[in-house]
Amino acid sequence: MRASELIEQNNQKREFLTEENEKYYSNLMIYIRTRLSLSEQQSEEVLMEMLEHLIEGQHDGKTARDIFGNDPKGYADEIISQLPPEEKRDLVKFFGQITINLIGWFLVMRSIAILLIGLTQEVDTTEYILPTIILVALILLLVALGVKVIFTLINRSAFDENTNEKMQMIKAGLYGAVEFLVIIVASYFIKDFGPSFEFPWTVSLGIGAILLLISWLMKKSINYNPSAP
Amino acid sequence: MTIRSQLLKGILDGCVLAVIEKETVYGYELSRKLQEVGLADVSEGTIYPVLLRLQKNKLITGKMIPSESGPNRKYYSLTEAGKDALNIISEEWNQLSVPINALLLKGEDSNESK
Repeated sequence: MRASELIEQNNQKREFLTEENEKYYSNLMIYIRTRLSLSEQQSEEVLMEMLEHLIEGQHDGKTARDIFGNDPKGYADEIISQLPPEEKRDLVKFFGQITINLIGWFLVMRSIAILLIGLTQEVDTTEYILPTIILVALILLLVALGVKVIFTLINRSAFDENTNEKMQMIKAGLYGAVEFLVIIVASYFIKDFGPSFEFPWTVSLGIGAILLLISWLMKKSINYNPSAP
Repeated sequence: MTIRSQLLKGILDGCVLAVIEKETVYGYELSRKLQEVGLADVSEGTIYPVLLRLQKNKLITGKMIPSESGPNRKYYSLTEAGKDALNIISEEWNQLSVPINALLLKGEDSNESK
C-alpha cells in the first residue's frame, strides 16, 4: 500500500476512536509525521499498525494509555529512533517535484499578472536572466526554510498541554509576512543587469502549464512507486 | 522501570522472533501471544519499536495487507538472517540460564530444605 493511501485510510479510521484515545493518538501521529527526514512509507505503516491496534484494544476496553504507556512523548521518541531515514533518491524527487511545481505556478501567475495589468497600461515583459535566477532561488530557499520552521513548531507543541494555538498561528503568520517582505525588498533592490530576453505572457503561460503538468506526473509516479517493499 | 522489565528488555527481541518463527503474525496478535505465554508485563506498545528494529536489521519482513472493509494488517515473517539470529539467541540463553539459575535459585533451594 502506498503512503498516500495509508494516510487517507488513517483519516477515516481515526473516526472510530473515543475522544480521549483520538487525542493521544493524534499527538503521537503529528509528532512522528512532522519528522520530515524519516521514511514516509515506514512511518505511515507503523502509524496504521498502531491505529489498528488501538481500535482493536478499544473493543476490549483498553485505552491508549494502557497500550502505549503513560509517556507518549518518550514512546514516540522510541519509535522515531527505530524508523529508517527517507532514501536520498526519494528526497531529491520530492524536492524536485515541489520546485518544479512552484516555478510552474510562478510562471502562470506572471502571465496572468501581465495580462491583467496589460488591460490598462503597457507592460514591459523583458526578463533579466541573472536577477530572475537570484530571486527564484531566494523564494525557494525561504519556502524550504518556512516549511522546516513550521514543522518544527508543530513538532515541539505536539505533546505540550499548554500549547496556545493562537500564538502558534501568529508565529507562523509572522514568519510568512517576514518572508514576503524579504522577497519584495529583494526584488526592489536587485537591479536589472546582465543578459535579458523578451518573455511574453503567452510563452510564460505555456511553459508554466508544462511545468505544472510535469510536477503532477512526478507526484503520481512518486506515490505509485513506494521505495519500501 | 521495574526489575522485570529491565531484564526483559534484553531478551524481548528473542521472544518476538520465537513467536514469529512459529507463524506469521500481525501486531495485535503478537502482543496477545506474548501475554498468553505469561509475559503479561510487556506493555502492548513496546512491540512496535522492537518490530521496527528487527525490520531495520533485516531479521524479519513485514507485508501490509489492505482490506476493503476490515483492518489493514501488517504480517511479519522471519528472514534467513532472522532464523540464524533466533538460533544464536536460544543458544546464548541456554548457556546463560544454567549458571544463572544455579546462582540465583541456590538461596531458594536452601530455604526450602530447612
